[in-house]
Amino acid sequence: MVTISDIEIGQVIKAEFDQITRELLRKYADASGDTNPIHTRDDIAEKAGLKGVIAHGLFSFGFITKLFEEFLNGERDGKLLEVDVDMRGMVRCGDNLITEGVVKKIENNKIFLDVVQRTITPVDVRDSNGNVVKQFEAGERGYVTEKDHEKGLVFTKDVDDGTLTYRERVATEGTANFELNQ
Amino acid sequence: MKTAKIVNNKKSKFFIIGVESKMDEKEMKENADFLIKELPGKKVPGKVRVRCRYNDLLKFAQVFGIDDSKYVGSEEDGIVACKAFANHFTIKALYKLLLGMKLEQNGETRSFVLDPGKLLHAGQKYNWEDCVDVRDGDKLTVTAEWGDVWVVEKNMILFAELLVSVKNQDKKLVCKPTVRAALRPGGY
Repeated sequence: MVTISDIEIGQVIKAEFDQITRELLRKYADASGDTNPIHTRDDIAEKAGLKGVIAHGLFSFGFITKLFEEFLNGERDGKLLEVDVDMRGMVRCGDNLITEGVVKKIENNKIFLDVVQRTITPVDVRDSNGNVVKQFEAGERGYVTEKDHEKGLVFTKDVDDGTLTYRERVATEGTANFELNQ
Repeated sequence: MKTAKIVNNKKSKFFIIGVESKMDEKEMKENADFLIKELPGKKVPGKVRVRCRYNDLLKFAQVFGIDDSKYVGSEEDGIVACKAFANHFTIKALYKLLLGMKLEQNGETRSFVLDPGKLLHAGQKYNWEDCVDVRDGDKLTVTAEWGDVWVVEKNMILFAELLVSVKNQDKKLVCKPTVRAALRPGGY
């Protein structure tokens, strides 16, 4: 059970989702009624200049409300009052989605948070000679661009098979607040 | 000079095909000025009714891997919609309300959205203060009015806020969404 004494300024509430798939986007399209084919059909997304399907903006949003619903024990310990976000970057198949809320203010039993969703987009894994040993969708379809490099969004890290290149960027950003039971 | 190809379409008489939509800067500015002046505070005509069935609520929660029986329990016990379900009734309604909306500009009828391909979802706010839960069997009514409308002159993207109200069959609020839509040049 979450009570006000469990909350402090700067506290991070976080969840990771690994990973976005076409099947999931199709299920979301069916459930939400948002059947715009740029979310489910690569051929149509490509014609729209998107290089491949993109997730619905509100699909990612669902992971924000889920984060707080779970934190509040299915809203048994409090009530989610508001989520207000701007969509900053496209979310794509193959992306890992990190959803994070940081407590900024506590007023009585109301908790105010900054919310951010970041995508981790794996591009490829290379061996010590620079040969690609594993390529991900972003590498095949060219989701990561020169602009991403220029903006400093592309990173590398050592993994079992070699060096992983990936992009990390903000997909959604905003605020949320919830109220704990008295 | 208008170079866009205008085609007759049953849903929208002045629907313009996305790839061929080209509008000069003057016309774009005139349209932006018109919408900025015309829309704020105005009600979006019509309302949309959304019936919330058990399977709708269940499917939605399952997409996000929610396993709490409050949201994915049996039909006999009854379930509550997860908060993300607001996407279901908001988007469904907005497609109907927005794409069907007609305006009078200089004595001519026009759609708010001239090219749906240029419509972007820029932001979203859901407010649930003083709202009740959505339950299976609920019949929701969605209405909307325009909030702020502005254009970013650097790229001529038009932003419009829609203040949405969603009530259940007992006329109790279930959610107050605010949708921030963006229209790229040629889309308005």
